[in-house]
Amino acid sequence: MSYLSLDHVTKRFKRETVLDGVSLDVAEGETVAIFGPSGGGKTVLLRLIAGVLDPDEGDIRIDGRSVIGEPPEARKLGMAFQNFALYPHLTAFDNIASPLRALRQSEAEVRQGVERVAELLQIGHVLTHLPKALSNGQKQRTSLARSLVRGPRLLLLDDPLRNVDAKLRYEMRIELPRLLKQMDATVLYVTQDYKEAMALGDRIAVLDDSSFIQIDTPAAIYREPASTKVARLLGDPTINLRRVRPAASTHGVSVDLFGQSLPLHVKPAGAADLVVGIRPEHIKISLTATEQGLPVELDAVTPLNVRSVLLLRTKDGGELLASCSEAEAARLPRGHGKVWLDLSPDDLLLFDAETGERLSGATP
Amino acid sequence: MSALTLDHVTKVYKVRREPEVRAVDAVDMTVEDGEIVGLLGSSGCGKTSTLRMIAGFEDVTSGEIRAGERRLNELLPAARNIAMAFEGYALYPPLKIRDNIAFGLLRDRRPRAEVDTKVQEIAALLEIEDILERYPPTLSGGQQQRTSLARALARNADVHLLDEPMSQLEPQLRAILRARIKDFLIEHKLTTIFVTHDQTEALALADRIAVMNDGRLQQYGTGDDLKDRPANLYVASFIGEPPMNIFDTLARRGEAVHRLAVRTKDGDTEIALDLPRDRITDAVGGDLQNGRKLALGIRPHQVRLGSFPDLGPVLKGKITSNQWLGDQTHIGIESAGRLVIAVFDGNVAAPIDSQVEITLPLAKLHLFDGDSDRALHHGLTTEGTAA
Repeated sequence: MSYLSLDHVTKRFKRETVLDGVSLDVAEGETVAIFGPSGGGKTVLLRLIAGVLDPDEGDIRIDGRSVIGEPPEARKLGMAFQNFALYPHLTAFDNIASPLRALRQSEAEVRQGVERVAELLQIGHVLTHLPKALSNGQKQRTSLARSLVRGPRLLLLDDPLRNVDAKLRYEMRIELPRLLKQMDATVLYVTQDYKEAMALGDRIAVLDDSSFIQIDTPAAIYREPASTKVARLLGDPTINLRRVRPAASTHGVSVDLFGQSLPLHVKPAGAADLVVGIRPEHIKISLTATEQGLPVELDAVTPLNVRSVLLLRTKDGGELLASCSEAEAARLPRGHGKVWLDLSPDDLLLFDAETGERLSGATP
Repeated sequence: MSALTLDHVTKVYKVRREPEVRAVDAVDMTVEDGEIVGLLGSSGCGKTSTLRMIAGFEDVTSGEIRAGERRLNELLPAARNIAMAFEGYALYPPLKIRDNIAFGLLRDRRPRAEVDTKVQEIAALLEIEDILERYPPTLSGGQQQRTSLARALARNADVHLLDEPMSQLEPQLRAILRARIKDFLIEHKLTTIFVTHDQTEALALADRIAVMNDGRLQQYGTGDDLKDRPANLYVASFIGEPPMNIFDTLARRGEAVHRLAVRTKDGDTEIALDLPRDRITDAVGGDLQNGRKLALGIRPHQVRLGSFPDLGPVLKGKITSNQWLGDQTHIGIESAGRLVIAVFDGNVAAPIDSQVEITLPLAKLHLFDGDSDRALHHGLTTEGTAA
């Protein structure tokens, strides 16, 4: 049974609809990443669950019980925010202890509880410091410790790694999933970073324009995006999208892609235009002519971590991004050059050009 | 002759009754004609002060800045023939985007037709064609930043200075715009210096990168130099996403095998990394004095999953995380009392909590002096170098 249920939740501010009948079921112990561009309604969603705001329509159930009208403190959940929201006049210890003291626990219990989460988050050595003496990373861990100290069964994390430096963000991305499993909590994790969403979420709920546009596992969302919109939100460099017109051929239907005719195994309905999606890592590059390879111009090589991004120009003047390993990139010129690209038809995604929706099963 | 030379450039800020701040400390560097150089570091490292001294917005406390053989120190900003894009955009609010971009060109007295063509070309490159008739206050931060960048790229100045040029760009546009901008800079042979705190941006665009920390230049080299031949532990643990795995070790000399002892977190147990004497170079062997503190580094994508004793030392460990990000997989392994990160292309089957062995290939290991943090060796065998 699901621990948290959002049932057709709608929230409006004056005439603007921020959330439009959204539904989501989160299983006990599951981490769901709420992912999408800013202004999509992610933070409002968390506030509705926390009880800071009330929905205009729909129901929110925690552990099977509707919580509409219940004050935040009765919902027994933990929250951490991107701006940390620590009490500036309290030490890290007292900040973390505040939820326990609100429950009027004994000082011995408070000490035990704080020390347990502080050890887990490796901030035992800064517990006596005031927030102003903490680094951003330590503030973020203190804020996280406070949200975990009561052992909440439901944890709401609002982009908690947003304001820490890249190195710490990376470390926390690696560590957090294990920590969350240890706490045995059900988690909603809001982020704008697709890598965080993929790394942390058992499932990802993609929120855009006040609705969930896809809810699925990271692998399914990356490999089978519901629409061009979802496909563009995950992946760096961004997926290549090309509009094509299917034409009758000896195989049934084929599309013309960069001057190469590719047969489609599944016939799309009608002869409407399609959009072909190609992930940059699925484009193979050779420095010498290959049998099936298409000659293209190499315009620029931009290294990206352990991979490199190539800007290619096809015969029809279009641009294409490909990525390759560092070793392969080392052999490429600084300026323009000629390379050959190979595509496997299995790696292509097809979308309806009008609606942007993916044509399921329609792999060429 | 270099396009730009920084000769012992120093900037000291003095405020009465406060200790003086040495923001930039004796920085030496040259930028060749047509070269793209990135100034990289975290906030407060001195990169922006350096850029502002080149632009002429800050006085140089000591040292000299030259464009070719021309000393710039005393010249006003407008007399330096330098184009600049600011982090705060600094667009002219009463001018349309088109006129903001054209402003520098018209001031340089370029003919109107040429200016129009240039504006159109740059606007297409940066995808701002549809906002050319609008005014700055009506634009998003990302659009304003692209306009500021367009204005700097449209001019043909001796040096182009870009301050955090792409920090506000929409993530979906970042890769393509970086590539187009790099293509444009190379095609037009524009000498460019840009400041960034984002190493992915620096690595993507720059021919050479100057890594700064505490006002000092830590290393000035190509992206490959920084990744494969970091000058010190600061650069090694700063560059790379994720950066190099670093082990603090103590050297123990032996007859046939030298060892690097890694102390685990509990401090009681030691894990030995064996370096057979016949496999390592004499120079490396000579640096393994008994009891010397040495740091051992390996980049995450050089860690091998599995036991390959012929390649280098093998460690036992436990998988603590396995994160597939679409085009690569990041794996966390608890080993020798610490977290070792390994990165692989594609998808890797390695379940959480499973026991594994990892190999650290000798050819891919980096050795640093534990006291001075200086790099000693990149690649410990004669068989190959660390890359």
